Amino acid sequence: MGYRTVTGTGIALLAAGFLFATGGCAAGESSDMKAGESHMKKDIPRSQYTEMSSEKLAEYLIFNRGFKVDQEIPENQGGGTTADRMKQDRIQEACSQLNGQAPDSSTAQKVQKIAKNSVQYPEGGVELGDWKEGQALAEDAYGWRVAHKVDDHNKRDPGGLCMNCHVFESDKKGRSGSIGVGLVGYGNKRGQGEETLRYTYRQIYNSHTNYPCGHMPRFGAKGLLTQEQIGDLMAYLLDPESPVNQ
Amino acid sequence: MSTTPRRLRAAGKWLLSLPAVLFLAGNVNAGEAFPLGTKQDPKDILLELNEKVDSDYLDAPQKILSMPNNPAYWDAEDGKELFNQKRGPKNASLANCDFGQGPGKLKGAYAKMPRYFEDTGRVMNPERRLVYCMKTLQGFSEDSKAVQNRGELKQMLTYIASQSNGYEWAPSMNHPMEKAMRDAGEAMFYRRAGKLDQNCATCHYEPGTNVRASAMPSVKIPEEWTKAVSWPAFRLGKRDIRSPYQRMRGCYYQMRKGLLQPRTDAAVAMQTFWLDAARGQPAILPDLKR
Repeated sequence: MGYRTVTGTGIALLAAGFLFATGGCAAGESSDMKAGESHMKKDIPRSQYTEMSSEKLAEYLIFNRGFKVDQEIPENQGGGTTADRMKQDRIQEACSQLNGQAPDSSTAQKVQKIAKNSVQYPEGGVELGDWKEGQALAEDAYGWRVAHKVDDHNKRDPGGLCMNCHVFESDKKGRSGSIGVGLVGYGNKRGQGEETLRYTYRQIYNSHTNYPCGHMPRFGAKGLLTQEQIGDLMAYLLDPESPVNQ
Repeated sequence: MSTTPRRLRAAGKWLLSLPAVLFLAGNVNAGEAFPLGTKQDPKDILLELNEKVDSDYLDAPQKILSMPNNPAYWDAEDGKELFNQKRGPKNASLANCDFGQGPGKLKGAYAKMPRYFEDTGRVMNPERRLVYCMKTLQGFSEDSKAVQNRGELKQMLTYIASQSNGYEWAPSMNHPMEKAMRDAGEAMFYRRAGKLDQNCATCHYEPGTNVRASAMPSVKIPEEWTKAVSWPAFRLGKRDIRSPYQRMRGCYYQMRKGLLQPRTDAAVAMQTFWLDAARGQPAILPDLKR
């Protein structure tokens, strides 16, 4: 990383302004990218750090003084560079400003609207797939990692990561996470009505439709799971034969 | 122990890690507390913290009972030797390196970092300062074998850290740049991005959450958080010492984001925020983690 020295406060301030004012984002997830920001390489002298807002300084450090943002991401992980991973879309940006707190109503409405627009239901309606496939997916946490040890999707398919955060089966509680709600007996409580199918599909596809600024990844909207895989996970949750409902 | 050849100690370290690993099988070896930099026995620190808060993260018994067998103390010994050895083009030791408390004054210095240094105009964490001293005092270049040897850097870092064991975390907040870095680190902590939309708070905010079988420490509970930020530590799962930087890199990796690079302003900013969140709590250095 070259730390070219920029002399003169005026030039530096101009550079800082330019960094955050010009438009344009790289390909990938383009529809949701927030407008009016670029991450062009600029050198801001450290003496200017105290003049910047904490968010702008964080943004600057991430893209210019910290992360290897030009690392290429394999095509089967979505391509592009790690800069694309570090850039924020509008939902990420809005939810980041809460510092862990619940969203205010205007943020919640804004985020929910973006989320609802992202949902694509399967042609022919939401249907349950194979709960055994869903169970395997739910327990598999492989995939999508880059940085110093890149996950190879050619050798192994990415999983659904679900068990990192949810308990699905009581006897697996000790190795299941608790960031998300417990899901033991999910289908027993809800049945398999159209309303439940669409709600559950939305929750997996883009959870911000139901819980704006919640912590569940957007598995459909971000291309982490296919519609078919979501159907399998839904079967794991809703099929009366699934161990979730035993 | 300091007269034992380094190679022998390396073998000893491997053997010493066995009882800690085997503890889960009920084969704990009740060793003596190591006196290297001890201000307070890490076992006592943890027992006291446990009395103050109800925490699954702190409470795992193997974390407390195997503390006296922490293999990281052997790394600290190796690090001490490296630190005091005359090395580099200038054939000098690091004994006069200034970590903020004056040349050669290591007691408590690690717990008061990161801090702003006039001589560089930068906020520096211990790792960055260590390499700075290797360059200025010993004459090593960035691409020299010594600077590129991450294992040796970690051993020296472990030694420096051990001299702050039991000291309260008190990263300096006297210079505006220190505050700016802390605040930027906080923004990074809550900044969502990546394939999974995650930020650090996803796992480290709500108290008492698990990721799979692992209890997560919460940034909101300083008594718990102090153990979370006490690095370097020996990781039983990795059978090696790991640096603060490696912890951050690992979290960003699991969040499916990019590669954080060591000794950068971003890494220093994050470290400033996370140590500020543990302010006033005793440091456990080096620590032992699962």
